[in-house]
Order: sequence, then structure tokens, then C-alpha cells
Amino acid sequence: MSQHSAPAIKPTDDPAFKLPASLAALRLPLCAGGLVALLLGWGFATQSIDANFGMSVYLTAVVYCMTLVLGCLFFVLIQHLVRAGWSTVVRRIAELVMIMVIPMGILFLPVLGSLWMGQGTLYGWDSPDAYQAEHHVPEQVWLEKLRWLNQEWFTIRTIGYFAVWSALAIFFFKNSVRQDETGEKAITDRMQYWSGPAVMLFSLTTSFAAFDWVMSLAPMWFSTMFGVYMFAGSILAAHCLIAVASFVLQKKGAMRDEVTVEHYHDLGKLIFGFVFFWTYISFSQYLLIWYANIPEETHWFYVRQVGTWGGIGLALIFLHWMLPFAGTMSRHVRRRPALVCGWGVYLLIMHYVDVYFMIMPETKAGNAGGAIGVCSSILCVAGMVSLLTGLVVGLAQQNKVVAVGDPRLAESIAFENI
Amino acid sequence: MSENNEKKVHGIVAEYTSVDTLLDACRRVRDAGYEKTDAFTPFPVHGIDKALGIKPTVLPWIVLGAGLTGTVTALTMQIWMNAIDYPYIISGKPYISLPAFMPVAFELTVLFASFGAFFGMWALNGLPRFSNPIFTDPRFDRVTDDRFFLYIDAKDERFDRGGVEKLLGDTSTDYVQSVVDDDSSDKVPKPFFLVWGLIASFSIIPLLIVLKMRVTHSHQPRFHVFYDMDFSPAKDAQQYSTLFQDGRAMRPDVPGTVARGEMQENLDFLTGIDMNALSNIDPPRAERLVRTFNPLFQAESEADDKQPQAEKPKGDDVPGKETAAEEKAKPAETKPAETKPAETKPAETKPVETEPAKTEPVETEPVETEPAETKPAETKPAETKPAETKLTVMDTTPWLIKNPLELNESVLEVGRENFGIYCSVCHGLNGSGNGLVNQRAKKILAPNWIPPSSLHQETLYAGKYPDGKLFSTISNGIRKMPGYSGQIKTRDRWAIVAYVRALQMSQNASIDQIAEADREKILAEQAEIKKKLEEEAEAEKKAAEAKVAEAKAAEKKAAEAKEAEKKTQEAKKDPA
Repeated sequence: MSQHSAPAIKPTDDPAFKLPASLAALRLPLCAGGLVALLLGWGFATQSIDANFGMSVYLTAVVYCMTLVLGCLFFVLIQHLVRAGWSTVVRRIAELVMIMVIPMGILFLPVLGSLWMGQGTLYGWDSPDAYQAEHHVPEQVWLEKLRWLNQEWFTIRTIGYFAVWSALAIFFFKNSVRQDETGEKAITDRMQYWSGPAVMLFSLTTSFAAFDWVMSLAPMWFSTMFGVYMFAGSILAAHCLIAVASFVLQKKGAMRDEVTVEHYHDLGKLIFGFVFFWTYISFSQYLLIWYANIPEETHWFYVRQVGTWGGIGLALIFLHWMLPFAGTMSRHVRRRPALVCGWGVYLLIMHYVDVYFMIMPETKAGNAGGAIGVCSSILCVAGMVSLLTGLVVGLAQQNKVVAVGDPRLAESIAFENI
Repeated sequence: MSENNEKKVHGIVAEYTSVDTLLDACRRVRDAGYEKTDAFTPFPVHGIDKALGIKPTVLPWIVLGAGLTGTVTALTMQIWMNAIDYPYIISGKPYISLPAFMPVAFELTVLFASFGAFFGMWALNGLPRFSNPIFTDPRFDRVTDDRFFLYIDAKDERFDRGGVEKLLGDTSTDYVQSVVDDDSSDKVPKPFFLVWGLIASFSIIPLLIVLKMRVTHSHQPRFHVFYDMDFSPAKDAQQYSTLFQDGRAMRPDVPGTVARGEMQENLDFLTGIDMNALSNIDPPRAERLVRTFNPLFQAESEADDKQPQAEKPKGDDVPGKETAAEEKAKPAETKPAETKPAETKPAETKPVETEPAKTEPVETEPVETEPAETKPAETKPAETKPAETKLTVMDTTPWLIKNPLELNESVLEVGRENFGIYCSVCHGLNGSGNGLVNQRAKKILAPNWIPPSSLHQETLYAGKYPDGKLFSTISNGIRKMPGYSGQIKTRDRWAIVAYVRALQMSQNASIDQIAEADREKILAEQAEIKKKLEEEAEAEKKAAEAKVAEAKAAEKKAAEAKEAEKKTQEAKKDPA
């Protein structure tokens, strides 16, 4: 009977809405350790292989974290856009992560720095004519490319992306936090009102960012699907991250009554769906290029189909699609929070492999730099993730971990799958 | 109530006014052990499955099974169609190329899974069911509005009317009713059949029209549902096109380009001529060949295309050959390309004329004119240009004497394969010049047929006919034989040369040339065959003798018969 009576919402200052102290204590170690690991991994790669490899390792870390942050931003936008009720209890986690786009802007500076100070270190197109000569690109074609890909325009665009994302993140974060105090319904209305244009801006900027930051590593290659491909991995990783973070928070004592099996079930369904979305998009991108078999389009996949990269590509098919697809298909798996969290962690690792597979084959060092290259990349990514986690923990300490003022909170707590 | 007793009871239904009372009743019924139960509510009620003790549905497994069936069906179908039943190469992909099969596999998986979900749900719910006796109760109408109903079916093992009525009566309800058969007629209304009949008869009309079309003739042009599928703007091989200036639908190689894998910088290898030597003897021709075969020169030579053409008649021994090749290699020309073939390739168009033009020495053995290649003067008539018949220049071209390929078994195997494909149809598998095409031509007495030459002639052996020249003949053709440079790769043409040499040797080999180990065997075989042949010859001879004897006997008989007749006639005359 209790299932149908209105759920009791705890007072806003209840400890269930606060970050558990055991997690809060991790803030400094996470930040410091993360920074050290990041610099170590980067320096290690630069020292033992070359500057190009070091920068690529760093870019892998940046792109990995950016996809998580942007995925969370999209999660928040889409929940407002569709006026979702179920997700209110976990939305704050995504909000805390999405605001990390601001520190990411600072962490992106080394990539911009490589354009201005170390031409040719990361992107081939920024060093005058080196790439062109190396790949026998005709003069006219190359000049056309350079109209889009040049230091000034790239920098302006990147600043533009960060400006848009920061504005969106700050707007939705500030309003949500203000609602914690006031509980005004008008704030929800305002956020819903702006979520439409925000999603449009978001999709354009992320697509172009994917073209600029990752696709331009191979300047002569192009795929209009690439932005969607990045987005597919990003939104999948964001759902995994939310599930994992909820599970950890609950284990440590926060929001135990608020997030229920039903929410894990929904997150599990979305993870299942986005696993297939990622596969659908990446396969569509592959199929068309493979079938048309045009030299200027196939080379990107060609280098990823031979040798070690071929093995990683096959591994992605089986481990990024088939295994999690079969694993998260069952309702019985999705209704067990520990299993959803386990698949979340697994897919976050596979997402790293996916990002690595996008970026690292473009380095000049053959075979991914061997074991040293892989280790330094893992160190670098783990470092940046840890650094950001530390920042998120710090931010969570000053705020609530659940959007307590949201008028849909009761609905979300009472949410039940049919 | 008494009225109800006469009718069949399907079950008992109870009405509730709230979700909570319904769920409470559900739990009681479940705990009492009833299984064939159902609850009816105006909206989904969470937890009712549990309250009624409904087991999780098996539908997901049906959907999974159907989906997997779809995947397997799609892959099996495509593999069977494209790789087994009708092997067909599409876009240069392998017969079984999984990426190409994925879209269909994906779609069929989704389709089958959807069907599985839809029809599986029907089957599990016992649908389609046109009428349910529970609808007989007018109070039940409120189930779509503000009332909740709990139903216990009479088919339940524990069903006992009194017991169930009591159990339901104990719950917080004030309406418990038996569900009985419907009073209304179970006959299908007549208009239904009328409408059904009309629809059925109308739906036959298109079929009848199609049938009529199949068996009748019409003078109207064909009706094209999809015009561009019947008349695709795509061109077939050798068709004319107004799109390009030269009118050809097939695009020749772009000047200055070479097909992938065909770039060969060694001109000797491409021409079969020692180019260094040629440049000393005949610099213009060497230059022409360089321009032809080196793509770097092709673009620039476009401008002075007409000059080499003018030089052609001066060509020494085999003018038709290289020039023909040069033409092919100069596709960018527009007008000259159209006009030239008429001038330079009359060999193909004038086979009839050549015969009367033949001079005495040639005429003696028309079949063997081909080896005469080494004696240019004699071949000229066959070669076409009347003007050239006067030339008596010997072949001074410095042909490559040796095959540039490193000869081994695999090269010979390649040569054998290609010879079998391209050469044997005319020259025969053993090179004797009696291939299937020749046999057919003789059979139908083809008037223009020039029999292909036998490869087993003194004049064609390595000593007199250098490997390079043989290569050039294969590449550029000779007399009626077309050039094969467009069809056979350079390397494979050299392999054919090697194989022809082996073939020639095989037909004239002495026993010393064979490995000692094999000699005995071959000698034995030879003896056996010889014996057989002798026996056959003997048998033939005997047969012939027998025939002769028979013929003689028959003659004798005939003579005797004649004599006898004569005698009888004489005898007849006598009495007369």
C-alpha cells in the first residue's frame, strides 16, 4: 500500500543529500595524485618516445574527459528538454560533472600551445607544408584545407566551443543549485525553456569540436559521421558514469532511499540502448567508407585494420558491442545495481579504448609506441580523470548531491518501471 | 440468479472502487491459491503482478529467439544467394563479405524480433478474441473509467462457485457477480458476408488484369512503372555516349596514368625489344615506343600526335604492331583516334581482300603464312597495306632473345593457365592450330576464316623467332589475331611465351632430354602406344582387305548374276 502513497521527502538538510565524509576526504589526494600521474604519463611518453606521442597521449586524456563532461551536459539538457521525471534524483551527479568543462578549458591549453609554439608536434597541418610534402597532397587541395585548418581560426573556434559549453553548464548548474534553496517551480520552467536551443547549440559545437580536435589529426580524411560517432561514445560513457557514481555514493551512505532499483533499471536500459547506438553509428561510418573503397576515405580505416590496430578494432567489435550488448540485455541484470555499476565501469574502460583507437594510430610512432606508450597513456588518462574527480568531490562538498529543490523530486523517488 | 443457473458460468468478477482495495483483494485471492485470475483497471497499477502472483512473462525469450532467427536467416540467405547459389562479385568484394551483409542482418533481426514481440503477445494473451463473456455485465463498462475488477476464471483447478463467491464477498467489495454466456446471437451478421464478398471480388480484379496481359498481345508500348529502372542512364560496354567529346561511353585511361600495379619502368620488359640496341639502329621508332609506354611522356606527346602517324608507313618490319599499340596508349586524342583505326587496322577489316591480293609464293600454303612473319616481304599482303608489299626489308629489330622472367615451374603454370584461357581456343591446347574456334569455322565453312597457325614450325622456334618477337606478337597481334596487351598482364604474357617454348619443345623432344628416372616409363608408354597404333593399323588394314575382298566377291556375284540373267534371256530368246 505504501507504494502508492506519496513518498516522504526528507528535509533538504538531511545527511542523505550530503557528500559522505569518507568521499570528501579524498579531494586533495585525488587532485594531487591525479596531477602528478597526468604529468608523469605525459612526460614519460614525451621522454621515451617523442613529443608528438606525448601530445597525443595528452590529447587522448583530454578527449576522454571531455566526452564524459559533455555527455553529462547533454544528459542534463535532454532531461529538461523531455521534462523527465525519473531522472531527478541522479541529475545532480551529471550537473556536478558537466561544470568541469571550465577546468577542462584550462587543461586544453597545452593542445592550443602545441599549435602556436611547437608546430607539427600534434596536428600535422599546423606546420608549414610538412604534412603536404609527406603525403603528396596537391597544392590547391592543401590550400583549401588550410583555409579551415589554421592556428588562428582553430583557436577562435576552440574558444567558441568552450564559451558555449561553459555558458550552458553555468546556466543549468546555477539555476539548479538556486532551486535547492528556493524550490521555485519557475526555475524548472526556465531551464526547460532554454533546453531546446541549448541542445541545438550543443550538437553543433560538439560535432565541430570532434572534427577539429580529433578528425583533423588526419587532415585529409573526412567523415561527416565523425561528430555523431564521438557523441555516441560520449553519451554512453555519461550514463555509465552516472550509474557508477550513484552506486558509489549509495555505498558510502548518501541518497540511499532516493535512488532505487528503478533508477538503475532505467540507466541500464539507456546504457543498453547507447551501446547499440554507438555500434550502429560506428558501423555505419565504417560500412559506407569500406563499400565505396575510395582511397582518400579508406586510409583512416586502413591503418586501423592492419597489425596491432586491427586487433584493437576487432576487440572493439566484440568487447565494446557484443559483450556489453548481451550482458545488459536482461532485465534481471539491469535491476541489480551492483551489476549495472560493474557494466558501467567496464564500458568506461572500453570507452577509453575507443578514444585511444581514434587518436593514437595518427601518431608517428608505429605500433602505439608499444607497452611504454600504452602505459603512459593509461597513466595520463587516469591522472586527468582523478584530477577531475577531485574537483567534482570538492564541488559536491559545497553543494547537495541531489537536486533537493526540484519539484519533480517526489515523482522521481516514487518512479517505478512497469 | 435462477436465470443465470441455466447458462454456463465462465467465472466470477468482483468490483472495487480503489487501487488499494483491489490490491488487497488480489493478495487474498493469490494466497488462497487461485492461478487463473485477472485484474482489470482503468490505468496501469504498479505491483499488481506481484499482488496477483503473475509469473514473469516469457515474452523476452520469444523476442530474443525471434531476433536471433532473423540474424541467422539474413546471413544464411545472403551467403546462400551471393556465394553459393549464384556466386556474384559485387563492387570487388568477396562472395562472403560480412560488412555488406550487416544492414540486412540488422533489419531482419529487428523485423523478426518485432514480429516475435507482437505475435508472441497475441499468443500469450490468447488473441484474437472477438468477444469476452465478461462484457455481458453492464457494470463492467466502468472499468475504463473509475472502477477496478478482479476476475477468477472457472477453469481454475480450485474453482468452486460458492467458495469463490464467499472469498470475494469477504473482501471490501459490494458487487460480486457470475460471468455467464452472452445472450445475443452468435451468428455473424449477414452484411458482413456481403461486404467481405465485395472486397474479395474487387481484389481479384488486378490479378485478372495481370493474367489477361500475360496471355494476350498488345500493340501499345510497354507500360513502365519505374521508367529509370527499365532505361537506366548507365552505359554498357562499347556503347555510344554524347556526354564525352569522343563519343565513347567507356573511358580510356587518362593520359599520363598507369593502372595500379602496371607501372613498369623497364621498357624492354614491356616491348620485348632491346631498347638500347634499337635506339642505335632506329632512333625515331625507339622514341615512339618510349613515348607510348612511359606515361610521363604521354601527356606532352599529345600535341605532336599526328607526327608519329605520318611516320608509320615508313615503319620497318612490322608496322602494324607497335603503331596499333601506340594508338591504344593515346586515348586522349579525339579525332585522330576515331579516324586512325580505319587506316591502321585494316587487317581486321579486309581479310577478304587480302586473299585475292596474295602473291604467288604466299598462296602456296595459306595456312602457314603466319610463320612467314620472319620474311616480312611475304607477309605484307596479309598484313594489309598494299604499298608495303613492295618492301623487302628484313626484320632488323633487336628483339630480346631470352625471356626476361626467371623461369620456374610457377611461371610455366601461369603461362599454361593463360594459354588455356586466351590462346587455346584458336591455336588448340597443344598449339597445333586446331582449336575449337577453328574446328567450328571449318565445320560451318566460314568464308572469311583464316586458320590459325600451328606453333610447331621451324620458323617459329626459338632460334628463328626470338622470345621478344613472340611476346610482341601476343601483345599487339598479327594478321587476323588481335593483340592481347589489354587483356593479359605483361608478366603473364611473358609467362605464355615461356609456356609456348615448352610446348614447342614437348612436341619435338628426344628421349635424351628427359630425366633418366622417367625415361623407362615413357619408353614403355611409347611402346605401348606404338603397339596399339600398330594393332589399330593392322586391324584397319585387315578391315580394308576384307572390304576389298567383299567388294570383289560382290562384283563377282553381280557378274555371275548378270551372266545368269543373260543366259536366261538368251534362253528365253532361244525358244522364241
